[in-house]
Amino acid sequence: MAEAPAQKQSPQNSQSAKPLAQKSLRDAVVLGGNRIPFARAGGAYAGISNQDMLTATLEGLVARFGLQEELVGEVAGGAVLKLASDLNLTRESVLGTPLDARTPAIDISKACATGLETVVHISNRIQLGQIDSGIACGVDSASDSPIEVTPRLRRLLHRLNSAKTALDRAKVLTALRPSDLAPVPPANAEARTGMSMGEHQAITADAWGITRQAQDELALASHQNLAAAYDRGFLDDLVTGYRGLGRDQNLRADSSLEKLGKLKPVFGVKNPAIAEPTMTAGNSTPLTDGASSVLISTREWADQHGFAPLARVVDTRVAAVDFVHGEEGLLMAPAYAVPELLDANGLALADVDLWEIHEAFASTVLATLAAWESEEFCREKLGRDGALGAIDRATLNVTGSSLAAGHPFAATGGRIVATLAKLLHERARETGRVQRGVISVCAAGGQGTVALLESDGK
Amino acid sequence: MSESIKDLGDVPSFPAVYAAALTRRPGAKRAADLPEITHRVRSVRIDPERAAAFDHLMGGPATELVHPGVLHVLAFPVSLSLMARTDFPAPLLGLVHLKNSVLQHRPVRVGESVDVECRVRNLAPHRKGRTFEAVTTILAKDGQIVATDVSTYLAKGSEGAGPETRRRQEQSPSSGKYGPAPGRSGGKAGFTPPAPTARWALDAGTGRRYAEVSGDANPIHMSALSARLFGFPKAIAHGMYTASRAFTESRPDLSRPLQWDVSFDAPVLLPSAVLVRYEDDPVTDSTHCVGWQSARSGKPARRHFTVDVTALV
Repeated sequence: MAEAPAQKQSPQNSQSAKPLAQKSLRDAVVLGGNRIPFARAGGAYAGISNQDMLTATLEGLVARFGLQEELVGEVAGGAVLKLASDLNLTRESVLGTPLDARTPAIDISKACATGLETVVHISNRIQLGQIDSGIACGVDSASDSPIEVTPRLRRLLHRLNSAKTALDRAKVLTALRPSDLAPVPPANAEARTGMSMGEHQAITADAWGITRQAQDELALASHQNLAAAYDRGFLDDLVTGYRGLGRDQNLRADSSLEKLGKLKPVFGVKNPAIAEPTMTAGNSTPLTDGASSVLISTREWADQHGFAPLARVVDTRVAAVDFVHGEEGLLMAPAYAVPELLDANGLALADVDLWEIHEAFASTVLATLAAWESEEFCREKLGRDGALGAIDRATLNVTGSSLAAGHPFAATGGRIVATLAKLLHERARETGRVQRGVISVCAAGGQGTVALLESDGK
Repeated sequence: MSESIKDLGDVPSFPAVYAAALTRRPGAKRAADLPEITHRVRSVRIDPERAAAFDHLMGGPATELVHPGVLHVLAFPVSLSLMARTDFPAPLLGLVHLKNSVLQHRPVRVGESVDVECRVRNLAPHRKGRTFEAVTTILAKDGQIVATDVSTYLAKGSEGAGPETRRRQEQSPSSGKYGPAPGRSGGKAGFTPPAPTARWALDAGTGRRYAEVSGDANPIHMSALSARLFGFPKAIAHGMYTASRAFTESRPDLSRPLQWDVSFDAPVLLPSAVLVRYEDDPVTDSTHCVGWQSARSGKPARRHFTVDVTALV
């Protein structure tokens, strides 16, 4: 419920002469989530828009938590591949659900970290006392990505629009060339380097000596872990079937090292400096369609509505690296943000019970881990006394990650947050101990967002 | 100084200069030395729209401070008009652009009006002919020099070559303005390509788009068909396009005095994928860039250019 508006004070009672009291922070807790199964691009959701998927996902969350007619504090959402007409994508999606039509919404954008940033936004608002409840969500469609006109045609059309006379319009039209009419699909490359994310990551993988074998093993583990999670019913209250899809379309429960080993490298093959390209379609995430959502609130709001908090959003950090001239790998920002997050909360690597490192590519996860194990990296780049150390690999992406589920860019953060919150809660109950988990998401533009979640199992 | 100044009413148009060069009477006598004359255009306004189009083509944001490449294209027709003089010791259409060096003393704002002065100097023997420098000085209203742009050209052929040799040069496939510089193709010099940090996917329209913002519509850049008329197998990217793009991508601070040095090697045939590497040197406050064509089907990698951008203060 939204907070009641503050009582207006008469001028006589004005407190303006005194500084206003600082409010104390409140806990932001994750109550659960809902997503649709992720589909491969051009697959089950071809012809379905971002708004379609986001609306369906929010409807599923509303149904799961009985939020019909509820005035939620705010819904934060976003899409990476976004049509210009979708400027209010989240608000429009909210209006299509049974939520109170007065529910405010905001669109947020930060490439692949969009989804996690919506969680950061909602939990910050809750902690600061600005709202009591909120929904973080995200969606992306690679099947229905925006296709634009060329910059030249755009400028000509604007000039045509402002032309006053028929002669002026004719002049504009004579400047038109056939090549101006070619449609422009979204660029699959970093603007400043002309190289795709995969090509960038191939450089990082090569620099860290990440082997093909290690990448294929990580990919296989992702598929096996996600398949096992589905099999044991873990995803039953996290995923709602959509358009005939019950599980993520990319999931290959029967994948094997042999099958993965047969795939040809696709990234790094155009780079003559990489002697042995290792990144294949099997150990890289495919283009995917999907949406996810997470319900977050104060403990009081959860209590009032009869929901058990799964985990608390303890803290978050962001970082960016200068990849433009090759000083650092494009997707290495989380390798800097996570140590900062742990330091800020007085934790060591070993204090983290579960790790969720977004599998943009298997080699991204492995290069991040290698960096923390590297004395040189931790000394020179992080300015530490020595290596952070190695994580227990049994705590990494235990119910699979993007390699198996797929990665509809802005939907990945919500998928991971809901999954980790439920995992931490489950384990805290099993062990009777507080469980902590770290989420690490890399993003285009050399960016990263990371988060720390904690559950006491209560 | 016996130097004289010729004031031009306005920056000449490229087509007019090229037409003059093409229709030159074959028997007209060429001087042995460079003309001691300055071609000058006063109060040339740097058109903000044109500067923005230039910035956008280079992949950068439209800046209030002018990209030095904009000053180069602003002055280029003026220096061309000097080199197109009938008594100029070398034919305009056979010149090869070897190097370019810009020293920018202070930033120039879009919309500012500047004086452009062009002269030529330092005719020197080269194993493939002769080189000389076209020097452009950009002056502010108060007479202060704001930028100096030195272009080094190679005029192929032996010194004092007769008219017959010259005619052959003008028609020879390898004698275009940015034609392959003999012995400078990088491969021969044992060029070992480094690891790339960027890749340029240059399509067949690259030359046409640069011609649009620079005005330099030399047929060798416009299309494969027009380039073939001048003996090139394909259209060739403007050297100053590659140099200007590398300048933008080196992330210079345009508010500081700077030096921009370019050395051209093998021409970039269009379409083409050019591999590029940038190296920042925080000690000298400079960025070094090299662009090349990767090795393929037995051919060694060929260096296209090296660019150095240095902040001076």
